[in-house]
Formats: sequence, C-alpha cells, structure tokens
Amino acid sequence: MKRLLGPIALAIFLGIIVHGAIVHFAPSVIMDRAYTLIGERGTPVHGFQLAPQMRPSTQSVVRPSPDLAYSGCRFDLGQAPNGIRVRMAAYDGYSSLSFFDAQTNNFRTIRGDGVAQEFTLNAGNAPSQKGIILIRRLAPTDVDFARVVEVAKADDCEAL
Amino acid sequence: MKRAFTYLAFAILGIGIGAYSALAMAGLLPGDRRTQGTIALNNWYGDFTMGSEDASPYFRARIARHGLLALANTEAIYFTRTVDDSGRALREDCTYRLSGGKMPARWWSVTLYNAQNFLPDNADGALSFDASRAEAQGSEGGAWSAIIAPSRPSDDTGWISSKAAGAFDLTFRLYVPDAGVLDRPEELIDAPSVARLECAGGAA
Repeated sequence: MKRLLGPIALAIFLGIIVHGAIVHFAPSVIMDRAYTLIGERGTPVHGFQLAPQMRPSTQSVVRPSPDLAYSGCRFDLGQAPNGIRVRMAAYDGYSSLSFFDAQTNNFRTIRGDGVAQEFTLNAGNAPSQKGIILIRRLAPTDVDFARVVEVAKADDCEAL
Repeated sequence: MKRAFTYLAFAILGIGIGAYSALAMAGLLPGDRRTQGTIALNNWYGDFTMGSEDASPYFRARIARHGLLALANTEAIYFTRTVDDSGRALREDCTYRLSGGKMPARWWSVTLYNAQNFLPDNADGALSFDASRAEAQGSEGGAWSAIIAPSRPSDDTGWISSKAAGAFDLTFRLYVPDAGVLDRPEELIDAPSVARLECAGGAA
C-alpha cells in the first residue's frame, strides 16, 4: 500500500488540475466558438447584423427566444485602439443593448426605453479585448419583426 | 518498468476522474440539459447570478453551455423546468396545460427547447407563449393558459408545439422584473404551472 502513495498523490494532483482547468476555461472556449460561429454566419467585426427571426432553421446560439429580434456585432479592441462607437436606434417596444466579454459576462446593458442609445466601448470599460454586442428588440409577430428590420438599419457599431 | 506503469495508470485515472467530475458538475456532459439554479419556484429553477461576474465558476460554465449570452438579472431573469407539476419529465407525446396569472415584469415568455438546448425542429410556428398572447386572451385578473402538445388544439389561442421536441424543457423569461423581485422572488413570482392532461396511449 505504501508503494501506492506516490501514484495516488499524482492522480489526485492531476485530477484537481484538470478539473480546475476545465471549469475555468470552458466559458471562454465556448464563447470563442460562438464568436467564430456567428462570424461565419455573417455577423461582422464592428458592424451590426440583424439575425433572421429565430426559428428552428435559423437558430445559431443555444436557447434563442423566438419573440425577440437579435442584432449582433462582434468587437475586437485589438483592431480598434481608439474604441468602438455603438448606437442602438430607437424602437417603440422593449429594446436593450448588451455587452458580453470573452468570459461570457454581461458587463453592461443599456435599455432603449423608446429612444436611441449610444455608448463608446474602449479598453477602459471593456473587461476583454474581444466580445459580442447584442441588441434585443421585442418582436413576437411578423409585423413587429418587419418594424425591427426598418429600425435596425440605423444601428451602428464602428471602430473610431 | 512496473513502477513507471503504475504511475502512468494512476495519472490517467486522475485525469479521467478530474475531467469527468468537472464536466458533470459544470453541466457539460452531452446528456445534461439543465441550467439549474439555487432559486426554486414551483419546479422552475433559476439563479440570479446568471450573466454576471458573481456567478460561480461551475454555474458560469453551465450557462456558457446552456444559456450563452444571457442578460444580467437587472434586465432579465430566467427559470427552467424539466418536469410537470407532478414531477414527471416533460415529453413530446403528452399534452400539458400551462397556466398562470399576472407576472411581475414588463414582459415575460415561456419557450420550449429540446434536449440540445434548441427550438424543436418543427414548422408549427408555435414555439412560445408570451405576455402579449396572454393579454390577447383578455381574461379578468390576468389569468391565462396555453396547451403544450405536438398537434394544434381546437382552441389555439394559446399553443406551444412540442412536435419533434422529444424530452423537452421550458424556459420562463421575465424581462425588466418589478422592484423587489430580485430580493423576494418566492413571494412576488407566481410561476406558471404545468399540468399533464394526457399522453399517447391513454396514460394520464
């Protein structure tokens, strides 16, 4: 039994290291995959793209709400040293502008409340260099979504 | 040589146990579909640290897998359930009545997801039930109900299609919760009930 103390200690040590590494790095790995995936589906770096209505055939991120219209912008402050100006156009209905860092944290959200909202993202207020910006607008019906299509044309996400 | 093999075998064992326990505890195993949470309301489970830096490492990993890009609690709160009011797993071949009343939020919805955390692959156009549909039912006092079933019910003013959903779950979203909800959710949220009505083959 005494001869197994060394191997058992090694197993415990490696188990703890691997366990901690998986839990710690999983969110950033999953976020990085999402960043790449939505890019492949057309969401640019520093530019908003309105996703099609969330339906079984169009969903690209887990648990989308079919009642919301999503406009996404990927940001990379490495490509925008002066920051990124983000503008959410006014919408008559619930809307929010939310920012997610590379660790999946929603580090800032600005509610629309019927008026346009603007925010400048930079290295001083962003926890990570890369992330995703998402506009949500309540659009449970096709008519609502058609309104969002028009409104979203005035959204902006541009490197300064 | 034998000693080296012993070390190698134990190293592999340690790595395996460490990896499996991490995947299981963080909800990253293929069969795990729950967002879980510390707040329980009538079989709905949620955690208000979702989307925030306060989330534990395990919950953060779980949400990355099952609810990526969730909003922080001041904007929206989320609950998920996998069972009916009797504690039986939600199934595509059963019919349920989802019902509730006025909710303490600017807007709310209940949406059905399959085991892969996606909307079920059907073309019924009945993926959720929300505050606007509840309002359209026009009941006094704000009471509402909807049927969860794989085919359209005769009264389709409230229907969530479970067609092609298999073993599914429901997510309950409350956007812009009223004052006090984050402090006293059990007191202020009368979470919707899910009563099983019948199943294929006649089982109730």
